[in-house]
Amino acid sequence: MGAEQAWLLAAIPAGVFFVLALFGRYLPRGGDYLGVAAIGASFVLFFFVAADFLSFYDFEAHKTFITESISWSEIGNFKLRQGIHVDAITIVMFAVITTVSLMVNIFSVGYMKGEPRYYWFFAVLQLFVASMLLLVMADNLLLVYISWELVGVCSFLLIGFYWEKRSATEAAKKAFITTRIGDVGLLIGIILLWKETGTFDIQQIIHAAEAGEIGQTYLFVSIMFVFLGCMGKSAQFPFHVWLPDAMEGPTPVSALIHAATMVVAGVYLTARLLPIFEAADGALLVVTIVGLTTALLASLIAFAQTDIKRVLAYSTVGKLGLMFVALGAGSPAAGLFLLMTHAFVKALLFLGSGSVILGTHHNQEMDKLGGLWKKMPITGTTFFVATLALAGLPPLAMFWSEDELFASVNHEWGLWALVLAMLAVFATAIFMVRLFIRTFAGEPRDRQVHEHARETPLVMTGPLVFLCVLAVVSGLFVFNGVGSALGFPGGIGEFVFLEEPERYAIDWTLAGISLAVAVAGVLIGAYVYWGNSLVRSTRLAEAMPRLYAALRNKFYIDEMYQYVIDRGVLGVSYVVSWFDRYVVNDTGVDGSAQVTGYSGSILKYLQTGRVPNYAMAITLGVVGLTVAGLLVRA
Amino acid sequence: MRDYALFVPEYIAAGWAVLVIAIELFWPKVRKDTLAYVTAAGALAWAVSALFYIGNEPESFQGLIQSDNFTTYFRLLAAGIVAAVSIMSANYLRDRTKTAGEYFGLLLVAGCATVYMAAATELITAYISLELLSFCLYILVGYLKRDNLSSEAALKYILLGAFSSAMLLYGMSLLYGIAGSTSYEGISQGLAARDQGGTDAGIVVAFMLILAGVGFKVSAAPFHMWAPDAYQGAPLPITALLSTLSKAAGFALILRLFSLAFVVDAVEWRWAFATLAAVTMTAGNLLALQQKNLKRLVAYSSIGQVGYMLVTIAAIGYGDATVGVNATSGLLVHIVGYVVSTLALFTALTAYYNKTGDDTIVGLRGLAETQPFLAVVITASFFSFAGLPFFAGFTTKLLMFQGATTDELLWVIGLAVLNSFISLYYYLMIVRQMYLFDPIPGMVRFRINPVMWVMSAGLMLGVLLIGIYPGPAFKAAENAAKPLFQQAEPGVAARQP
Repeated sequence: MGAEQAWLLAAIPAGVFFVLALFGRYLPRGGDYLGVAAIGASFVLFFFVAADFLSFYDFEAHKTFITESISWSEIGNFKLRQGIHVDAITIVMFAVITTVSLMVNIFSVGYMKGEPRYYWFFAVLQLFVASMLLLVMADNLLLVYISWELVGVCSFLLIGFYWEKRSATEAAKKAFITTRIGDVGLLIGIILLWKETGTFDIQQIIHAAEAGEIGQTYLFVSIMFVFLGCMGKSAQFPFHVWLPDAMEGPTPVSALIHAATMVVAGVYLTARLLPIFEAADGALLVVTIVGLTTALLASLIAFAQTDIKRVLAYSTVGKLGLMFVALGAGSPAAGLFLLMTHAFVKALLFLGSGSVILGTHHNQEMDKLGGLWKKMPITGTTFFVATLALAGLPPLAMFWSEDELFASVNHEWGLWALVLAMLAVFATAIFMVRLFIRTFAGEPRDRQVHEHARETPLVMTGPLVFLCVLAVVSGLFVFNGVGSALGFPGGIGEFVFLEEPERYAIDWTLAGISLAVAVAGVLIGAYVYWGNSLVRSTRLAEAMPRLYAALRNKFYIDEMYQYVIDRGVLGVSYVVSWFDRYVVNDTGVDGSAQVTGYSGSILKYLQTGRVPNYAMAITLGVVGLTVAGLLVRA
Repeated sequence: MRDYALFVPEYIAAGWAVLVIAIELFWPKVRKDTLAYVTAAGALAWAVSALFYIGNEPESFQGLIQSDNFTTYFRLLAAGIVAAVSIMSANYLRDRTKTAGEYFGLLLVAGCATVYMAAATELITAYISLELLSFCLYILVGYLKRDNLSSEAALKYILLGAFSSAMLLYGMSLLYGIAGSTSYEGISQGLAARDQGGTDAGIVVAFMLILAGVGFKVSAAPFHMWAPDAYQGAPLPITALLSTLSKAAGFALILRLFSLAFVVDAVEWRWAFATLAAVTMTAGNLLALQQKNLKRLVAYSSIGQVGYMLVTIAAIGYGDATVGVNATSGLLVHIVGYVVSTLALFTALTAYYNKTGDDTIVGLRGLAETQPFLAVVITASFFSFAGLPFFAGFTTKLLMFQGATTDELLWVIGLAVLNSFISLYYYLMIVRQMYLFDPIPGMVRFRINPVMWVMSAGLMLGVLLIGIYPGPAFKAAENAAKPLFQQAEPGVAARQP
């Protein structure tokens, strides 16, 4: 089993999807064990793939990727190959996707117990994971697009899993339509790139772009269209509106979407095509600005939200923004490292909140929670670690990845970008502490809820503990020592890179500042919300009523969209629909249909059912053709 | 050397036909569906033995029949069709007749006849193979002799079949007079050696008569009028046979005859094929709009499909050998796509008919509720006919037209696209019946025979597979098409006006 067979990783869950979708309802326990087994198999196979790849990998000898493809169709000049491309980026993505999905799968066995359509949940989960795995190993943009859309469909199905609830169907629609807008951009971008290079193969397109075979403006425009797709999928401003609503799905799905399978697709694709972004002047600046805007905006909005999952959702949007900032600084190492550490931490947070929700019998409003740490010690402790990790405290995972980020931003764009990125981190630290205190610490705000809260079973706390360990240690991948021990000497900086491998070297000034920012954030958060008393925070909110209202209402972005759709889109659509009804439909469609139907009704009288008439038709046919033939030739 | 080993697969098929008849003769109480499965097993054995012939060097038996990849392609196709049709017939015949041995025997013989039509390289052999197929079909169409429609259909088919056979023979005789040979190669040389100046009226008449004969076989307008009546009267599985095997056989004969023997004088016939293509596709689709009976509708829709296919024959006439290979492989792969979709449709229709005995379009009302699986299969095959993406019909039609595009034929291809729009209307009307209307009062959910279920599921998967992953099928078609043009090339170049 080598890296050439990496396609098995996606094939196994995909196969199980079909089994579960067709026969799941007849299987005992809805076949959930099959789902766990399939993802578990992918998880195990990942180690074989990674081991094979690492033993093959040699930067000096230009052995940086393994590829395997088959001819899909070869018709005339049109040749299409489908295949997989395994390189360092793929390996990192594999690690994230298989680990997080396995944990989510196991967790779901406990969380979804007794839900209706239990088997269907597990079936779609398999397809979701399979399409994401396919996406990260696809060697051509066509396959990328197909799996990209599959991911979108699965998220639609899972967000709308409780389709009896109106809010769930609305959220599913919103997620689907918002990301679709970006996807149209992606498709246009892919077609533009294909038109110029004549291939869908990612590596060939990258070569063409680097060799300057594509005009600057053309390249910029087409890669920006591709980036639109990435923005939609990764919930970047102004497409970020779908992600907070997407928590309407079951909580394990939120964990999956936020950590491993949905939103990171955009980050992945940008990282994969980063050489093209770099070849197009100004593209990286756009990426950076989009990332920074999103990060700041989301961190601010998160302050005023009271739903646990909604706060977490905005923190995801913010961190995704930072990933794009890292990529915009030209550092896939920082981007993917941040993606990986964030995935573990965020999966932990979401599963932890799922544990809270189940432990308190479906309560996710912070206004009713509080003081849960004693009641749910494992969930509380792991959540505590994750909160500090997300806030960026050393030696937890995200400190190291954010340090990489700051270093590359500082190097590429200088002070202004660095300050903005740190502001986002600072804000995250504050609202994460707020979230933790209001949920787990202090006095319970609702006795009733508190009384009935209890710790969740092992099948749910087990994944929490596992992810908690990763949230602590996964930051260490950045160090040479850890990397050497695992087979990629030099740490992640020498494993994932754009042009030259770069070893991580700690910059004490930056690290110190980043530490100070994180600690300050944590302390301020602790000061304002200590003891889960809202005295200080309420005073703050009253001091700035306008700002508070704006934050509470998410800067009115949803309302603005609604206004634009109501006035603009519906207005235009009224005119179009008039044209469609009277000109296209009545004249064009109905008119031509009537002509066609009429000719058919005339012709049918030729079919008399009498043999002599038929024979006459044959004879006339021959005579007519012969006469015509003689005339044509004469 | 007389190499009798060239046609071992057909010995198996013909021997099996005798066996099937003998089984019933000596054991009259045999269950009729058992006979059907025995026949299917025979067809399968035939197909397996044909696999050994893939990629063999072209070899000729006495210059009469040729065994090459083209022949083998039709071997596999015919064996597949016969297997599918006999399984389809199992319950249908069990419920309707007391004797079925001849029916299944003739199915196998008809399959052999198809192979010989594809293999023939000489006019008389080709004619006899064609008649062999026709006689099998005459009997099969009229097999339900107590059914008035069935008998009427058979009678009409025989009378008109004889009429057009006469035309074909007349054309062949004229041609023999002009070219002085009945072998395809001899005809090609004879035509090339002819005096170059002016048009010989005899040759035009000969070509048009032959065109009428083979046009009747594939039901090209205006030689198509027998088709709706025969399709409607024939037993349902035989309707499937008529629209798959008979058409495939016709095109097999046309392809070898026109690409080998007549290509030198392409200028005399290519415009006729283009015209026939245009007339056929338009007439078929317009008339299909007016139908109320399912079998008649399928008859007209298949006439429309033949119109699309005829474009490739015209393309062989207009283009050089490269265009010829491309157009032929396009046509061959489209025939497979069309055959698989048609068989899927008829398997589902037969399963439905076995339960309800209703063959009108409105009878399908609410099928999505009473038997959702059949509704899905029928919808998939109609989508394939209409040429919607991801279904076989889209991909294979695309490949076919891509291969057949020459400057002179753009107008026909444009017309084909327009016709596809029209066809979508009547296909969707049936889909609408199945999905948007409530079932006829009294209809309840019913189950279908598991064998039919498996077969329709398999064929539907085939439709999707060809639609999404056409690579291997196209490769096979390309290999089958090559022998036709390798021989033509070194001989004589087409005469251009």
